Formats: sequence, C-alpha cells, structure tokens
Amino acid sequence: MTAESAAAAATEPAPSEGKYVYCIIRHDRSREFGEIGIGSGARVYTVNHNDLAAVVSDTPIVIYDPTRENVLAHEFVNETVMREFTLIPMSFGTVFRSEQDVQTLLKSTYQAFTDVLDKMQDKIEFGLKILWDRDKVVAAIERENDEIRRLKDEITRNAASSTYFARMQLGRLVEAAMEEASNRYVTDIHEQLKDVSVASRSNKVIGDRMILNAAFLVDRKDEKPFDEKVKAISLQYEDLLTFKYTGPWPPYNFVNIKLKLEKAT
Amino acid sequence: MGLLTNILLSPFLGPVWASKWTLDKVDRVVREELTDDTPIKEDLMKLQMELEMGEIDDAEYVKREAEIMRRLREVREWREKYGMSIGGGPVRVAGGNETE
Repeated sequence: MTAESAAAAATEPAPSEGKYVYCIIRHDRSREFGEIGIGSGARVYTVNHNDLAAVVSDTPIVIYDPTRENVLAHEFVNETVMREFTLIPMSFGTVFRSEQDVQTLLKSTYQAFTDVLDKMQDKIEFGLKILWDRDKVVAAIERENDEIRRLKDEITRNAASSTYFARMQLGRLVEAAMEEASNRYVTDIHEQLKDVSVASRSNKVIGDRMILNAAFLVDRKDEKPFDEKVKAISLQYEDLLTFKYTGPWPPYNFVNIKLKLEKAT
Repeated sequence: MGLLTNILLSPFLGPVWASKWTLDKVDRVVREELTDDTPIKEDLMKLQMELEMGEIDDAEYVKREAEIMRRLREVREWREKYGMSIGGGPVRVAGGNETE
C-alpha cells in the first residue's frame, strides 16, 4: 500500500476509478449500452482498440462478491450486448485499474480475441439441467425390470423372514438399474440434440437429483429447431425428469482464452 | 477449524526435527483447507438450484447467500495472506504495463 502510493505520487495521480469489463466484441467505434452496469446502474460503454471493443463500466477498485444481484447485473449487460453482437464473455468480477490497462488487454490479446470471435460468430449457448424424481424412476424400474420386481414382492410378502442379504441385493440391483437408466436418458438426450447444436459440454452435476448439467453451443439460425427439440424431449420424459432450460447465453462454456493477467496492486 | 486449534494449542513435544516435519506437513494441509473455495462455490450453486426448484424462499436464499459470501471472503483473505491468486479484484495484463 505504502509503496504503491509512493510510486503513484512520483509519476501521476492514481486514477480513482477502475473499469469493470463484461465482454469483448468486434466494433470499431465507441458505443453506449445504457445505465445498466454492476453497482446500481453504472453507465456501460466501450473502450476501443482498432476493430475490437471491451464493454465496460466505471467502478471503484473493489472485489465483487458473486451475489445473485451482482451476477445478474453482469449477465444482464452481456445479454443486452448479445442482442446485437457476438461476444467473448469475461469472468465475473474482472476489474482493471484504468482505461489504458483495458487497451493493453485488447492490444496484447488481439489475435486470440479475433480468432475466437470468428469461431463464435453467430453462436449462442443454452444450458440444460436435468433432474430426476428418484421415486418415479424407481417405480419405472420396478415396472420394467422383472428380477427387481420379483425380489421386491418376495421381500414384501415375507417381511418378517426376509433376510438382510435379500434386501442388500435388492438395493444393489436398484442402484445399478438407476445408473443404467441415467446413462440411457443422458445418451438419448445428447443424441437427439446433436443435429441442432454445434457442440456440447457436460459440467459437474449439482446436488444428488441432477443427472445432467450441460451447455450446448447452437447456431443462431438453429435457435428455433433447438428450442422445439428440447420441448419435445421434455414432453417425452415428462413423467420422470424435470428440465431446467436456460438461454440464450453468451458462449460461457465454449470460450477458453487463458488471459495472462496479474494482480494490480 | 479444529485442526488448526489443535496445532496451535498442543504442547511442544518431541525432538525439534520431528516437530518441524509435522508442522510443515500440517501447515500444508491446513493451508489447502483454508484457501480452497471449490466447496464453497459448490454450495452456492446448490443454493441457487434450491431456489430455482422452489425448495426455499427468497428470504432463506438471502440469509444463506450472506453466509456463503462470508466464507468466500474468509478464503480470499487466507489466499491473500499466502500470496495466492484470487478471483476478482483489480488485474492487468501480466508484464503489459511496462512494455507499452
């Protein structure tokens, strides 16, 4: 802290305001997106370098907690920009100390940004989380699987005398059948969405009811067919699975530029 | 943080070299535990899912979110103490400023 103030005093007054960066777009002049930024509606505008632009708003130099409010503000800006532009989203909470630092980012990463923007041209992302209702899936398995049904009937009939072993065996059979069912559903759903998407990525599932947490990269022109396909699949599995379908998003899961950033003190 | 308390409060026993080895190892474990925000982020995602699924109401969400944010800040402080990178906060292109 002391070293920093000393250094700043020696050269020029330290800028009191930083720049929060939301995303990178291709645009060769400045542009305003309204007062929709993080931190109670800051003005959102561009910092430009040649045909690239960083979408930013002014911010104090702080670390933003990923609260729902902050994350939604970040996402809302990207959604707004996305209506007109192909964009490379920045990680939540990325703050630069000055406009010049943002320009340095655009300059030094120019080629990588350009390549990715070309690749992502007119692509959007959809999120698909699928949860199952354990009881319903177990019921379905019991209907379809003779061995499990027989064993279960037997245990219920001879409740008093049924052995610990028989119960263990039933439990194991049900577990295996459930895993098999989960794989079957997931494979089928991926298969059905293959023709209407460019790529997909499976993320770690959240909680114990989720069987799929995936992101799909979709061509803008295929937005409607993709949408219809998802609706059809959710109808097909209506009795067993719950679908959480979100988007369109910027391609959060399909852009992976390793920026060489360091902490600015 | 039970482990840390034990280490801090345990009497100094045994030859110095043995303690040194143990402390190094324990320090590493404790450090990893104190500076890992992955489980906290997972909790946050779970919490968001619960809200989305209508399993909890808004008030409950806000309450638990505040607790998760507190834990995240704690990890951030430890990471800073250990000189590790933190998500968020001011950044600049590595080495970019001087070579303008």
